[in-house]
Amino acid sequence: MTTTTTTDTDLLRRMRSGAADAFAALYRRHQGPLYRFALLRCGSADTAADVVQETFMGLLTERFRFDPLRGQLQHFLFGVARNLILKHETASHRHQVLPGTDDEDEGDSPELAADDACPLARLLDNEAAEEVRRALALLAPHYRDAVILYEMHELSYAEIADICQVDIGTVRSRLSRGRAALAKRLAGWRTAASAA
Amino acid sequence: MDTRHIDKPANRDPLFDALRAETNRLDTPRRVEADLLQAFARLHPPRRRRFHAPGLRGWLLAGGLSGLVAGALALTVALQAPRVEVAPQARAVVALDESAPFIALDSAERIAAEPAPRMVAADVPRTSLAALGVPLTPENAGESVRAELLVAADGQPLALRLSTIE
Repeated sequence: MTTTTTTDTDLLRRMRSGAADAFAALYRRHQGPLYRFALLRCGSADTAADVVQETFMGLLTERFRFDPLRGQLQHFLFGVARNLILKHETASHRHQVLPGTDDEDEGDSPELAADDACPLARLLDNEAAEEVRRALALLAPHYRDAVILYEMHELSYAEIADICQVDIGTVRSRLSRGRAALAKRLAGWRTAASAA
Repeated sequence: MDTRHIDKPANRDPLFDALRAETNRLDTPRRVEADLLQAFARLHPPRRRRFHAPGLRGWLLAGGLSGLVAGALALTVALQAPRVEVAPQARAVVALDESAPFIALDSAERIAAEPAPRMVAADVPRTSLAALGVPLTPENAGESVRAELLVAADGQPLALRLSTIE
């Protein structure tokens, strides 16, 4: 981890001194996770691409100034992308909230994965992906942030808390509620898939 | 980039396995990288080489500076050369004895620094010139020698040239 951070810092330093190859290397290293986060977070490929472009443009123009002492560049980029998405959502008034999510119990749902290892579930991978994506898209945005960063990008509670600018307890709570909402949303599909 | 920490569970929710597999193939459209690299090129235009052959403007500038330096050197040399103003009546005497050397009676700096020296013809007793190597005998000790003196503005003799030595 330290090596990667040092390399990112070194690339940033070279980028600021005008090395285009350093900027290209930084972009190629981080664009994938950032794009996938933005895509799942806002549900639009065009908006996700715009968010990635604006994030790196901000890094380039130092509109968004990264301080290596305060964490990893990837987490910083996630935070910038998340803020840009929030701004975009605010501007377009396109919040999509799953009704009743705040009233859900906070229990995790590990039992939902109990039968995922069966061959039938593997055959349904693409369909499953789309179902999960749709269910994810219906989560409240603040739940979606936590679930995507935790489940898809394997970040820790502390890292998610840093990106979302909340405390770890809030991350834990949002993650739990988000999972519960997803489980409820996907329960019908999982039953149908298992029956088929 | 390994971002695993101790508060992460060993296994993620398998519910997301399919979605992970599907989305891991997705990348930002290529046009975004092209746009960003173009923006980078605009923000960081290629630097000019530090050392390069000067153009016409550079050569003109260098020539002008060289001329100025040469002129300043010539002026300095001209100002430092002793200016000898010869009195009209002495000019003929000096002309007659151009080959005779001057004997300095003062330092070269003092002579060079004199702002208005003048040439004076005078008869100098031989006894005064014995220290300069003029022959002196009991027979000619009372005679005088015709000489040309370079005299400062305050009357101080600076140099001497013997026009005739008998």
